[in-house]
Amino acid sequence: MSMITSSGRLPAPAPALKLVGRWWLLLLLIVAVGLFTLERPQMIEAGNLATILRSASLTAIMVLGLNWVAAAGKIDVSFMQVAALANMTAASLLAGGAGWLPAGLAALAVGGLVGALNGVLVGTARLSPLITTIATGGICASAAAAIGRGTSIRIEDAGPIGELLSMTLGPVPLIAVGVALLYLAAWWCQEHLTFGRYVYATAQNEEAALEAGIPTGRLILILYVLSGLFAAAAGVILVASLSSGQPMIGASYFIDGLTAVLVGGMMIRLGQPNVIGTLTAVLLLAALVSGGALLGWPDYQREIIKGALLICGVALAVWMGRSRGQANGRG
Amino acid sequence: MTSFRILSPALLRCLGVVAMIAAIIAVFTALEPRYASYGNLSAVTRHMAANGLAALGLTFVVVVRRFDLSFPGIASLAAVTIGFLIASGYGLWFAIAAGLAIGIPVGLLNGFAIGYLRLPDIVVTIGSGSIAAGLAFLYTGGQSIFQNFITSGLLDLNDTRFFRINVSAYFLLAAYCLAGLVLHRSRFGVALYATGENPVAAHFSGIRVRACVMAAFGLSAATSVLAVLLLIAESGAANTNHGATLLMPAYAGVYLGAALLGGASIPATFAGTLVITILLDGFSLLGLPYYYSDGMVSGILLFGVVVFDPRVRRQLRRLAASVLPIAPNSEFRS
Repeated sequence: MSMITSSGRLPAPAPALKLVGRWWLLLLLIVAVGLFTLERPQMIEAGNLATILRSASLTAIMVLGLNWVAAAGKIDVSFMQVAALANMTAASLLAGGAGWLPAGLAALAVGGLVGALNGVLVGTARLSPLITTIATGGICASAAAAIGRGTSIRIEDAGPIGELLSMTLGPVPLIAVGVALLYLAAWWCQEHLTFGRYVYATAQNEEAALEAGIPTGRLILILYVLSGLFAAAAGVILVASLSSGQPMIGASYFIDGLTAVLVGGMMIRLGQPNVIGTLTAVLLLAALVSGGALLGWPDYQREIIKGALLICGVALAVWMGRSRGQANGRG
Repeated sequence: MTSFRILSPALLRCLGVVAMIAAIIAVFTALEPRYASYGNLSAVTRHMAANGLAALGLTFVVVVRRFDLSFPGIASLAAVTIGFLIASGYGLWFAIAAGLAIGIPVGLLNGFAIGYLRLPDIVVTIGSGSIAAGLAFLYTGGQSIFQNFITSGLLDLNDTRFFRINVSAYFLLAAYCLAGLVLHRSRFGVALYATGENPVAAHFSGIRVRACVMAAFGLSAATSVLAVLLLIAESGAANTNHGATLLMPAYAGVYLGAALLGGASIPATFAGTLVITILLDGFSLLGLPYYYSDGMVSGILLFGVVVFDPRVRRQLRRLAASVLPIAPNSEFRS
């Protein structure tokens, strides 16, 4: 996690290049959608765009909390398993005859609890974030599998969340509008409240932030609870969207979520995860999946592209960051 | 340091670990007499070999204070490469060499990006692990490979025994002895610890810090290839998700060991892996469903890290001091 403090040998980039460096992800999104459309015009048909927005919305909800955990210089690799556990909790309660409200609230409570556990261990006990969340994630995965005794749970009725998912506002799915508003609010919190300043100050220098009077321990606890809650919310939505509880929601959310947050952090605020960057990256990944499917790419090619995107993104950000005279050694 | 003691703290910790292992075995034997049988104990040594090898390489990365999340992907790629070459009729040793030749460069590339280009370790290794795992699908699109495995001699790695003990156990011991010599009895090992402790001071002491980081990632990749080789020898087929099973036990082994013995080292990783293997084996013998095993390993890891973390221990000591003002300090000393 620490960086060696000798100065970089790479030359500083020109200002025009810097602007590209700041917005490259948005450019990449436009270029990618454009290229896919050239090859397969179905790409920008209303139905396909709605599908892209739907899948992007779900990932966006799942990683909003993770985004700030990463912005504070920590990491949470348990979010996918938290979503799986919340998913199975809600599904088993629904299958047992409970209503959607108690089932959803119970699932959110489970997510919040795991988040609080992560937060106490990382924020208060100051253990390594990676090791802690690998371990809590493993426990969640086992618990999720144990709820369904190793298999999935089928749900008869997708309920009110299923109805909300199928609703549209004109051609746009309602959930995408909701996520856009959510991210707008999150952006406002991040840019205009002391909350956002505290998060980035914690990432820069936790000790100094603490000395300056920022309750970093409590802040980190809150961030992990948020991460758990948003992951659990995505898990509950997945119950309705899949009409079942799946103990292994799919490893694709794991790499997608981390790629979105970390690559998104390479845009606008270089080297600092932020909500606009995360949202752009989520859209880019969803466009890649959709365009790749239209072109008939197999799954693994997309995994390779995502991995390459992640490494290129971080290399670009470190290079740009270094030219400003600071190395953002977040990891 | 006021109290007089005959045993050094390190020796005391070792004795504690031995007592802990003995206690675990005693409890399991009491619950299930088959636990102490020859068949089960030889299964323990076999299971320990693969996890122990993956943890061994990870130890080097942890010593230079970095993280490697790419070794499961590298292991999957190597597993399918080895399987594909054996299925195509190449010899066993050629296939193993090819597996190493494809895995180690990925590890060195990680090390180059992290050591020389100074990119963040977690991000780079998640990315390269994802690429390696994706490349593993190129051979068969994700299907298992098992052709020619019996005739190639690959399965002998799992089945051959000397003096009634699996050959993989000797292999593991040899690897740990070699790694112990390298890490604890060589200039290179000291350089790795210095790099981890303080890279700037190490740099000014003439240590090639970046090369050390690169070497650690190369070693991690190499041992993960050997670990997955034992896994495919045990299961008799190579597939693309073999590597993923290595992640949890390797991290748990390294960090539990470091917690038990007070720092990452080769003996610590050995102790950590041994504790985890005998616990997992015991629980599976008691009939616990397979899906509890990851949670079990995670729980042990979390417990070890929490209880043995110096900060947590200091707080526990303070708590004990406030409850029992005359409690002897030495009992809680690390």
